[in-house]
Amino acid sequence: MTAGSTLRIVGGTVYDPANGIDGETRDICIADGRIVADLPAGAPALDARRLLPEQHAADPVPAPRLAGGHTGRSGTGGTVPSTFTTGYRYAGLGYTTVFDAAIAPLTARHTHHEMSDTPCVDAGCFVLMGNDDYLLKLIDAGERDRARDYAAWLLGATGGYAIKVVNPGGVEAWKTPQRNLTALDEPLGSSRVTARGILETLTDAANTLKLPHAVHIHANNLGMPGNVATTMESFKALEGRRAHFTHLQFHAYGTGGGWKSAARELSDWVNNHPELSVDVGQVMFGPATTVTADGPVEYLLYKSSGRKWVNIDVELETGCGIVPLEYKEKAAVSALQWAIGLELFLLAKDPWRVVLSTDHPNGGSFLAYPQLIQLLMDRTVRDARLKLVNQKFLTGSALLDGLDRQFTLGEIAIITRAGPARLLGLRHKGHLGVGADADVTVYSRQDDIAAMFASPRYVLKQGELVVEEGHLRLAPSGRRLYVRPAHDEAVVTGVRSHFDRYSTVQFDHYPVQGLPNGPIGID
Amino acid sequence: MTEARRVGITCLGCGLVCDDVTVAVSGGSVGDLSPACALGSEWLGSGAVPDRIRSSGRDAAFEAAVATATTLLSDSRGRVLVYLGPGLTIEALKPAVAIADRLKAATDTATTAAAASGILAGQRRGRAAATLGELKNRADLVVFWGADPARTHPRFIERLVNATGTHVPGGRASRAVVSVRIGAGGAVDGADTSLQLPAAAELAALSMLRSIVAGGPVPDAAAGYPGLAELAARLVGAKYVAIVANGEGGDPARPSQGSEGLIALAQALNTPVRAALYILRSGDNRNGVEALLTWQTGYPFAVDFRSGVPVYGADRRALDDMGSFDAALLVGDWRAMPAASVAALASLPTVIIGPGATDWPGTAGVAIDTGRAGIHEGGTAYRLDDIPLPLAPALDGPRTAAMVLSALEEAVSRSLREVTA
Repeated sequence: MTAGSTLRIVGGTVYDPANGIDGETRDICIADGRIVADLPAGAPALDARRLLPEQHAADPVPAPRLAGGHTGRSGTGGTVPSTFTTGYRYAGLGYTTVFDAAIAPLTARHTHHEMSDTPCVDAGCFVLMGNDDYLLKLIDAGERDRARDYAAWLLGATGGYAIKVVNPGGVEAWKTPQRNLTALDEPLGSSRVTARGILETLTDAANTLKLPHAVHIHANNLGMPGNVATTMESFKALEGRRAHFTHLQFHAYGTGGGWKSAARELSDWVNNHPELSVDVGQVMFGPATTVTADGPVEYLLYKSSGRKWVNIDVELETGCGIVPLEYKEKAAVSALQWAIGLELFLLAKDPWRVVLSTDHPNGGSFLAYPQLIQLLMDRTVRDARLKLVNQKFLTGSALLDGLDRQFTLGEIAIITRAGPARLLGLRHKGHLGVGADADVTVYSRQDDIAAMFASPRYVLKQGELVVEEGHLRLAPSGRRLYVRPAHDEAVVTGVRSHFDRYSTVQFDHYPVQGLPNGPIGID
Repeated sequence: MTEARRVGITCLGCGLVCDDVTVAVSGGSVGDLSPACALGSEWLGSGAVPDRIRSSGRDAAFEAAVATATTLLSDSRGRVLVYLGPGLTIEALKPAVAIADRLKAATDTATTAAAASGILAGQRRGRAAATLGELKNRADLVVFWGADPARTHPRFIERLVNATGTHVPGGRASRAVVSVRIGAGGAVDGADTSLQLPAAAELAALSMLRSIVAGGPVPDAAAGYPGLAELAARLVGAKYVAIVANGEGGDPARPSQGSEGLIALAQALNTPVRAALYILRSGDNRNGVEALLTWQTGYPFAVDFRSGVPVYGADRRALDDMGSFDAALLVGDWRAMPAASVAALASLPTVIIGPGATDWPGTAGVAIDTGRAGIHEGGTAYRLDDIPLPLAPALDGPRTAAMVLSALEEAVSRSLREVTA
């Protein structure tokens, strides 16, 4: 939005849960890309009467025609769209802030190049640390303070936003004959390092450093029957400490043999622990691409599915695995995963701590958000769909027993915008209070909820009209979201020495430079 | 006489992209690469590159040359070849790909037929891979399969095989090295064990190895290949196996399915032990071109925008179809193009932007010299394992390719908008 420009969105029905507004008809005023209290009469106006504004967080795709004769860039879609298309499609759904939830530090420079080519969204990334060789050595030596300083240095060096932990210790074990860690107190090799120690160290690091987002945890034993035991043990290990557990659905399978839902048990714990937040990782039926730093999980998926498989071990840091997959409603495990995800949403007493996600592209594409929102808001649609899926493993599930909850528009605004923004510590996002980023999505009210959420009437990014009537009009570059936490510089001496011995990259060439804007401040 | 000073650079002489080297800079020239490396020195040269701008056979001002190039390319929209050559940074390649997209051009790259075959095999099967440091830090068995790193990647042995690693404290002494020569292809000196396979037997050998490591019996036919059964035993007896293969083509008699066989073997090895396959690629940011095309279009090479969307033309490369173009934009080092393609371009209006552009043998429509990535231009380049590294230029060069191509992209976009309006 050019300096001095203003806009009044007139007469929409506003959902702004962070400010206690739940469906009030009012104007939204914007100046210089931010929400302001009021504007003079005669300011440019966008008519949103009978509309619903909310704040927000491989098929070939032609280049979109933009305003002023400009054109965007062509690309490809599918479960993992190309970068420009990813930006356009997020904006097209009304989402203008996006995080890559797991990057290897060594590839941070690549991630930033990709984010620079992903228009329409402010973007950041979470940095993988749960299997970092130097960090594990510090934990083994009992040097947790130094580990915290290393984590801070690594975030700054990579231009990252949050600490990510994937299968703590298990990815390092995958590179050795041990091949995985399956219990919280199982030692890694001959060291004293355990998954518990990694979780505690990095959770405390994020909290002591006052990072805007808690440690973001993908727990051990993802996707395994009976893994709720590990998940609960991880919850208990961090009880009382701020932490975020991601794609909880993949960690919610009951004990006692076979496949069954453990959503009730996990939801009870989450409901009663306000320090904890989760995102669901909903499975949506259709094609998906599983891609994760959890190398041993992808190996098992490759062996069980017979699909093609990519494994990439990343020196000193982490791993990566990729297997394409299709979730079928007639497949018993897929149906169970679908049901568990819905249970986790519907059993949540505090929607501010249970975020909507499909773990894109693992559980399904972000493009399925409108269908997911419909399942949450419309019990009739949900129950009809439930009758179509394989019932084999659903016995005893809360969903089959009957969950009549229907999310309100206000609750959808929480789990898709206000809640994630608050959990990410993005104070200027997720609400329509004075000073907030003027990122606003306006929907035309429709009975078909999925259709309504699939095609916003207007999408504004920092006050500029990016999408109008389903058409992309502008494709502005977004801002980069990252932190540069303070730390004891003495840690660098040890890191440099470790690099000089074992890395194939010069220490001075490791940190990324030239990011497009400054870091987010830390109080 | 100016006294030489030593500066660190990131070498793009091969796909290893060594960032631990220094060069002597004196005046406007550069040399004395250290540690010494024949390929690196060849890439570095003296640092001298031409600094001219030519338009229709005459010297021209920059703005005029960009305007002429814009007209030439925009007038041929939909029938333009964009060649994304080596020797450019990611920052220079980005506007070049944007131009191709806007002009609805067909692109081609310096991806060789052998490299393309390997990429396609990976797209069919996946791959079991690792970054270079995993070989250094973990591999207790390194198998060079038809590879000759002393010739193609001169510092591979020194930097990775002889080095100590986190799990290989004794360096070379802690590893076993096996060299498998395929037909007339290369081999490794100093290996603990060496095998020789006829080129025609490669696929059969790979199949037998795969069968054995998957738990099958040693087939009788293995007796025909001395050392093969022993190699299989070594593979399953190791902890972390690194298989290193030449990705740019060795013996032309090798079957193209060899890459697929190697991927399948590496994947199968990950059940009894851990294993990674390393494909040795050439330098000058070839991997970077493919990485950029992949994140922007979904495809790593042979991307054809002529229908307004990216179409994968891996089976019909643009350079093999020169008759379908009315104009061409060559960016990067045009010398990497096949001679037949260079000859075919003699009759087309051609815009050349890159190091040595004005050395083009014909009369180009427009030729604008730039520096070479890593020597004169900073930015990002990718290693053979797709790890991006920053480039630290040692010399001032002519105008940068990133600047020239950004200016051209802006002018082309403006021109197309005017046409649309």
